[in-house]
Amino acid sequence: MSRKLADLQPELAPEPLRRVLEVEGLKTYYRTRLNEKVFAVDGVDFALEEGKALGIAGESGCGKSTLSMSLMGFYFPPLYYGEGSISIGGIDIMKLGKERLRKQILGREIAYIPQAAMNALNPTLKIIRFIEDLMKEHQPKLTKPQVRAMAEERFRTLHLAPEVLDAYPSELSGGMKQRTVIAISTILNPKVLVADEPTSALDVTSQKAVIRLLKELLDKKFIRSLIFITHELPLLYHVTDDIMVMYAGEIVERGTAQQMVFDPVHPYTKRLMGSIIVPEEGMKDHKLSAIPGAPPNLKNVPEGCRFAERCDFAREECRSGKIPMRVEAGRTYRCIFGVDTLKEWYADEEVQR
Amino acid sequence: MNAYARYFLKKSGWYLVTLLIALILNFLLPRLIEGNPVSTIASQVSQGMTDSDSIKKVYDNFMKEFGVDKPLLAQFGIYLKKLVTGDLGTSFGLYPRKVSDILMAAVPWTVALQLPAILVGWIIGNVLGAVAAYRKGVFDKVLFPAALFVNSIPFFTLAIIMLYLLAITLKWFPMSGGYDYQMVPHFSLDFILSVLRHHTLPFLSIVLVTIGGQAIGMREMSIYELNSDYVLYSKLLGIRDSRVARYVFKNAMLPQITGLALSIGTMVGGSLICEIVFSYPGIGTWLFTAIRQLDYPLISGCTLLIALTVLLANFTIEIVYGIVDPRIKASQMEEN
Repeated sequence: MSRKLADLQPELAPEPLRRVLEVEGLKTYYRTRLNEKVFAVDGVDFALEEGKALGIAGESGCGKSTLSMSLMGFYFPPLYYGEGSISIGGIDIMKLGKERLRKQILGREIAYIPQAAMNALNPTLKIIRFIEDLMKEHQPKLTKPQVRAMAEERFRTLHLAPEVLDAYPSELSGGMKQRTVIAISTILNPKVLVADEPTSALDVTSQKAVIRLLKELLDKKFIRSLIFITHELPLLYHVTDDIMVMYAGEIVERGTAQQMVFDPVHPYTKRLMGSIIVPEEGMKDHKLSAIPGAPPNLKNVPEGCRFAERCDFAREECRSGKIPMRVEAGRTYRCIFGVDTLKEWYADEEVQR
Repeated sequence: MNAYARYFLKKSGWYLVTLLIALILNFLLPRLIEGNPVSTIASQVSQGMTDSDSIKKVYDNFMKEFGVDKPLLAQFGIYLKKLVTGDLGTSFGLYPRKVSDILMAAVPWTVALQLPAILVGWIIGNVLGAVAAYRKGVFDKVLFPAALFVNSIPFFTLAIIMLYLLAITLKWFPMSGGYDYQMVPHFSLDFILSVLRHHTLPFLSIVLVTIGGQAIGMREMSIYELNSDYVLYSKLLGIRDSRVARYVFKNAMLPQITGLALSIGTMVGGSLICEIVFSYPGIGTWLFTAIRQLDYPLISGCTLLIALTVLLANFTIEIVYGIVDPRIKASQMEEN
């Protein structure tokens, strides 16, 4: 409907959302000691529009951290690039050489916040010295005073004390260190910011500060999009527009945060939401459901649906062939059953309980 | 006065206490060795004498001269009093040479042998270790076991093997001494060449051992640092490899600085075996001779020198560390 309107009156239509990141058929693998390939990211497709925050969730070992590393286009043993493309602003970064990737993309177009920000900074380097080194790579014309002015300005805007610049990492608290790392990562206004569990090691207050900081970066357009990886789903609901759930190296469902949390379609998403611990009244009597079993060994992925082993609704036909993504009733998920069928089953299950 | 200065003032106090304890031990330990030094000397001096009275007289004279007849505490008092004026006493074994003269003559030999050897070994060892960690592959696979092998040979064995192979069998280098024995130390090309020829073998043996130990340490530290999160983070921000490598090796060097300072500090004592095997005219050989002759003043003099250099080296390390590594500076200031 809106599209038709836009066709007729292009000048009145809202600017179509520009895609900042497009990933197609991305496969990356780890090489084991026995020289086997273990595909931790096994054919991932997704796109991210400007101004959006995308959450990636899943159990430990589902490939979400590997995916976040893989998006950087930067591979080192034991992680290797298999196939597929990663386009940022229309440029396929996998086609650039290592040196051009480093000079033009890393830190400038796409930036990364590591899982353990505690140790992400060189312990014997003052924060400002590290920022100077970063600028030497990407803005070599800036003088040291200019770099300092720029850093101070950015820190102040993000409500971080400029005094932090003259501190050594060991002098900062965990939450402060994490926010400093975020400020450094985004100082060049990258199009995409990939945050791998940026809050997992923090206390609740620091978590909030980090979340607020990430939202602020988006609002102020210091970053054009955000990919937030975590195993904490409630957190994603507050931070992101869309959520993607990964299982055994594949995306099993993608939807808006609202859909994914309150109305999941894929059985795995459903189970994942069921295992969230929500503090509420009568919670002690509430039986917390865990997903039985463990994710498959990626060295030896089963044929058919990878979740079939642990799925209550699995049928014979689930265990053969390759299960494609299914787009139905505005939902995108990897299952052979329709939305209505699945919902019926969920309703039955509820009744039985 | 800031916390940092206070820390060092307090530390200096502790170092003084340590030095005092070392002084007591320096004085006491030689005197606890079984035997009477004077009787040895007296018997040497009175050789040929038949009159027991004269022999007794010689003995008593020496007892008095050396002050060994007084009670230990009084002896210690005299020792301290003399020490303050810089007098380390007279050697028993090389009577009447002053201990300070003997040490003064020996120190240059020891330093000239050890200092270059330790520095060269340390630099080569660290470079090899860093390259092995960075390059990995064949280089690492060959270097690491070789370094481990050299490092696990006891030094005296290595020195003796080198002596046997290079001096006795191949006759490339002289076997012992600091210079040709028929020469008198003087400033001439011949003498310098002779010193260098004698210097080479003990020098190489120390270098070899130092390389082994340092290379292993540096390799381990570099591998640890290379795998740290800040390396990955820096690279993902597009910082070039050479700059990241500089971060890594600076951090990996920190414990190695301690290693260097410690080996320079223990240089005087550490050269003992090397100097004995190659009969090199340094402190080690003198200490060895002094112990055999129960030469109390000379033993105390040698051990005092060793204690002083070790303490000084440790103190220097603490200062240098505080400057190089902010984490250590912070913990030093917290200690106050």
